[in-house]
Amino acid sequence: MIVETTAALVLDETGAISIAQLAEQSGLSEPELQMLVDCGALAPRDVRATTWMFSAHCIVTARTARRLRDDFALEDAHAVAIVLRFRERIDALEQELRQLRALR
Amino acid sequence: MKYKDYYAALGVERSATADQIKAAYRKLARKYHPDVSKEKNAEEKFKDVAEAYETLKDPEKRAAYDQLGRHAPGEDIRPSPDWGQSFGDGQFSFDDVDLADLFANLSGRAGGGRRSRTMAHPGQDFEAVVRLTFDQAFTGTEVEFDMTVAEPDESGTLRRAPRKIKVRIPKGVTDGQKLRVPGKGGKGMNGGRDGDLYLDIQVEAHPLYRADGLDLYMDLPLAPWEAVLGATVELPTPSGRISLKVPAGTQAGQKLRLTGRGLSRPDGSSGHLYAVAQIVVPTVVDERQRALYAQLKDASTFNPRAHMS
Repeated sequence: MIVETTAALVLDETGAISIAQLAEQSGLSEPELQMLVDCGALAPRDVRATTWMFSAHCIVTARTARRLRDDFALEDAHAVAIVLRFRERIDALEQELRQLRALR
Repeated sequence: MKYKDYYAALGVERSATADQIKAAYRKLARKYHPDVSKEKNAEEKFKDVAEAYETLKDPEKRAAYDQLGRHAPGEDIRPSPDWGQSFGDGQFSFDDVDLADLFANLSGRAGGGRRSRTMAHPGQDFEAVVRLTFDQAFTGTEVEFDMTVAEPDESGTLRRAPRKIKVRIPKGVTDGQKLRVPGKGGKGMNGGRDGDLYLDIQVEAHPLYRADGLDLYMDLPLAPWEAVLGATVELPTPSGRISLKVPAGTQAGQKLRLTGRGLSRPDGSSGHLYAVAQIVVPTVVDERQRALYAQLKDASTFNPRAHMS
């Protein structure tokens, strides 16, 4: 059987997606995404634009928010935003630790 | 299909209210969630608890679960045809799926009504960790996944089936980066979109190079005379060996930049490679060398600790 190769897309700052795509790919609703923007957990490229566009990296943030919301049965966007901030700090510290260990 | 006692997993009575179920789940999530727990096997325990809550929090799925009746954990069960008719579209193969597959696929079509059975239902997203060597991350690579997924076959019957997925990873990915492979998750139902595959990139440490974003760092050991007099040294870089001109008077810690020799991405952006000078001294010197060092000492007025006085 021939299996065709699919290109993986890097979720970094270069790609741009609409709020509807972000909702579809993260599993959060548009109002939930809006609340995360209000809490400062997510930032559209231009907050004054009529239709918000986000960097592709926001998919990672929004999916983590969805996972944390479900895993801890959180009901409040503010709580999700705070736990998300902690998770991001842990990720950054763990990465720094890995780099320092690699420096031996 | 093996029976699992979801109520026991959450430590609640079968008659528990939705609020009691949620409260029990939250307590266990705080105890076992891998992000916060230091308990042994926390991840495994959390998965069991989350699987139980996923079904019991949804009134339709809970009703479907209750209809399976009471069984001993691990007991082989085979739901009646009536069960399939009431809670799905009747097309389940109970041999090669487990309870979690069954209830995951019930979402969007549980609830009886004809309307829900034809409702578009997106496929599940899959997640996988990809471990790459430094060289694979530098040049880009192809990875293959062999997965076993539960999805409906041509007749709509839910089955576990092997699936092979080939993915091209672009050059220049870094440790901790996330990638999305569109449409390579679970199959959507009734016209719903297919899920995506999300990849979590881990790059192995390289004995010579350390990455910081697109920039790379490597140590450049120099003999004292090379640092003082300058030298041309041969250096292995990820893109091949090069000759590097080390200027006279190079200090330890000084960074020599090799422009554009860091990681590069398909969009044309690239980082630099920095060779960080280290002054290394020989541990064994013969009589002649010792005499030369002594001569140098007498001839030199250099005081490396001048700034301390």
